[in-house]
Amino acid sequence: MTQTPGALAGLTIIEIAERVSGEYTAKLLADLGAEVIKVERPGGAPTRAMGPFKGGESALFAYLNTNKKSVVLDLDQPEDRATLDRLLSRAHALIDDHDEAWCENHGLSQAAVAEAHPALVHTVVTPFGQGAPAEWQKSRPINVINAGGWAYHSPSETPPDKPPLKGAGRFLSDYEAGIDAAMCTMASLLRLRRTGEGQFVDISEVEVQINRIDCVLDRMLAGDVDPSAERTAYDMGGPGTSFACADGHVFLFMTTRQHWKALCELMDNPVWTQEFREDWLEFDCTAPNVAKFRENFEGWIALQQKLPITEAAQKAGVAMVPVNTAADLPKHEQFIHREFFQKAEHPAFGEVAYPGACYRMSATPVQVRTPAPTLGADQEETVNAAS
Amino acid sequence: MQLPEHWNRDRGGPLKGIRVVELTKVWAGPYAGKMLAHLGAEVIKIESMSNLDEMRAYGGVDINSAPYFLSINQEILSVQVNMKTDEGLDLVKRMIGEADILIDNIRPGAMERSGLDYENLKKIKPDLIQCSIKMWGTDGPLGYQTGYAPCFAALSGLTALVGHEGETPKGMNIRYGDSTAGACAALACIAALHHRESTGEGQFIDLSAVETMTSLVGDSLFAWSVTGDVPESDGNFHPEMCPHGAYPCQGTDWASIAVANEEEWQALCKVLEAPALATDPRFVSLSDRLANRHALDAEIGALTRSHDAGYLAEKLRNAGVPAFKSMSSIDLCTDGFLWAREAYRMVTDNKAGTRPIIGPSWRMEPDPPVVERGAPLLGEHNAYVYRELLGLQEDEMDDLIARKVID
Repeated sequence: MTQTPGALAGLTIIEIAERVSGEYTAKLLADLGAEVIKVERPGGAPTRAMGPFKGGESALFAYLNTNKKSVVLDLDQPEDRATLDRLLSRAHALIDDHDEAWCENHGLSQAAVAEAHPALVHTVVTPFGQGAPAEWQKSRPINVINAGGWAYHSPSETPPDKPPLKGAGRFLSDYEAGIDAAMCTMASLLRLRRTGEGQFVDISEVEVQINRIDCVLDRMLAGDVDPSAERTAYDMGGPGTSFACADGHVFLFMTTRQHWKALCELMDNPVWTQEFREDWLEFDCTAPNVAKFRENFEGWIALQQKLPITEAAQKAGVAMVPVNTAADLPKHEQFIHREFFQKAEHPAFGEVAYPGACYRMSATPVQVRTPAPTLGADQEETVNAAS
Repeated sequence: MQLPEHWNRDRGGPLKGIRVVELTKVWAGPYAGKMLAHLGAEVIKIESMSNLDEMRAYGGVDINSAPYFLSINQEILSVQVNMKTDEGLDLVKRMIGEADILIDNIRPGAMERSGLDYENLKKIKPDLIQCSIKMWGTDGPLGYQTGYAPCFAALSGLTALVGHEGETPKGMNIRYGDSTAGACAALACIAALHHRESTGEGQFIDLSAVETMTSLVGDSLFAWSVTGDVPESDGNFHPEMCPHGAYPCQGTDWASIAVANEEEWQALCKVLEAPALATDPRFVSLSDRLANRHALDAEIGALTRSHDAGYLAEKLRNAGVPAFKSMSSIDLCTDGFLWAREAYRMVTDNKAGTRPIIGPSWRMEPDPPVVERGAPLLGEHNAYVYRELLGLQEDEMDDLIARKVID
């Protein structure tokens, strides 16, 4: 693969994070071309022990640590802790996601780092942000997504007797927090380049969750709309949802009479559609009408194949799309066109497909330059260079 | 004409000195602008009466006090330009000439039709960073398609992973997706600022909202590539923690509980006063609990049912078990901790007065970016942009207003 410079070429970042939120923050920066040195505890980062595994290696770790280097330091030992300081003295940023007590105990509090390394950007990602009660900071992603409100309101239309959901996969709130943390770290690094001054960046995972719902929740906060205990408080109403079809699922979204007219044509105008006003989506979109629509539509869509019917829908002006699965994406024409998945050799797994970045950058494309490091792979080069 | 008192003021923050021009509507694009503004950048939103951001129209009759618009666009400057006129387009290009970053999320092809594609704009501003946010990116076989957030979540692979076990995967709440795409756009723009800082070179950033959602399930997709197991929607299942879920409490409340080890398991049983559970052979080890997790969830649900969710979660946390109430919108709006930490803060604007907003997820020290102004009135910063930035004379500006170029 041709190696083009990364956007963050020339920047060195030390990662001492041990949760996915911090690891993902540093992954975003490493994939953008920064030199990220991952400091692992003896025995390795916790994610090395998290599945799924193949050949004894963690796929999770391999995903979260592309383009990083690895050194092993026992930060409880003064000698290794001093090595970290030497690494920090030639670095531009430090990424951490431990709670305040840990930071305090390891001489890595906001004040300690600012004093020892005034020209360092110091980013700490925690569940509730600095100053939160210590027990709150032990929250796991499912606690964060529940504390931030998305779980209570997902999926849309969940009845009161069904549990709130954790979201997709195990780490949704970690990834969201990683985006803000990487963004703020880079912004602060720009300031460092221009002023020579470091900064402390405090990211709250829960506040990322609530910020992502700004135009719904803020209207409640401001009294434009009443907040409530309703599970449907974030919903939009209307018939849009997922439906089972013959070979999987589709998602249908409809809000206008044009959408409705186009859908009726797509279905060949079955008799039941005549029970609806032409403009029902705009002016008669009641719960009974939505229910009646779905009941009828379910019977029709259940017999359709997801790809041909959604392609026909798009052409007809109906916002109906396939609910793609992991297996659908690598063979999807648009994903192929954009080269979203990058094939690369992994030393333990062989050829694998790495999901890439959602932004194609014309001058500095994001690339998997090196697979996740073996434990301590860069010890000699990095620690010796620092001593 | 008087300049508004708040134009071009020093708000500090890491992006101080960076100017952004945005041609954005609805949510994803404006959210990107908000992220940059909340980091200290000067963000100028181009608007016009003939081509309004729909958010100015939702939920009211007054385009200057529309709740959706006010809830996103804090610390944004607004300038009016009628881009349907050649003169208006020319003025937009002059604004871009004064900017570091241009962001748009308008329909595929619209920028090109207006001559605002990157190749053209590079002639005006050679080191411009331009970011386009589209459902599928700017080109490719499906690049022409547009869609709504729940559509791109469905296309992305994310929706397939969210649902109650054994049911049609319904995905995240229907609102999920736009804001994350905007955040990723802001992130990519800042990365590009670094490349420009190192090399003097700008670039074009082509963001796919679908792929934004895909990147949030990256580890699941990568695991599929490695192991061949297709991940599916799995309720609250976690292969390494059990119990792991949300459990019913008093009324319609729920509490999330995540147990990762033996110590936490014993502490949970103790708080729930359920010694029989702690010694039940079905639930002895993690693998036992995973194998019998539906039975376990039912047992725990029966025990949590009588508790107040907030109080139970607190007792569990104090016993060392990660737990938190599942927060409803009323819980979030009235949460003392969030108010005290200034997760919510007040801003003022020139119309609605003072309004609480959801503040940034970050705090920075020293030199935090100031966020204190609410969303702009339409054209509130016309004078700043036309007079100060572009150097127009007062009579030139009056003429443009009279001829509805500034509209």
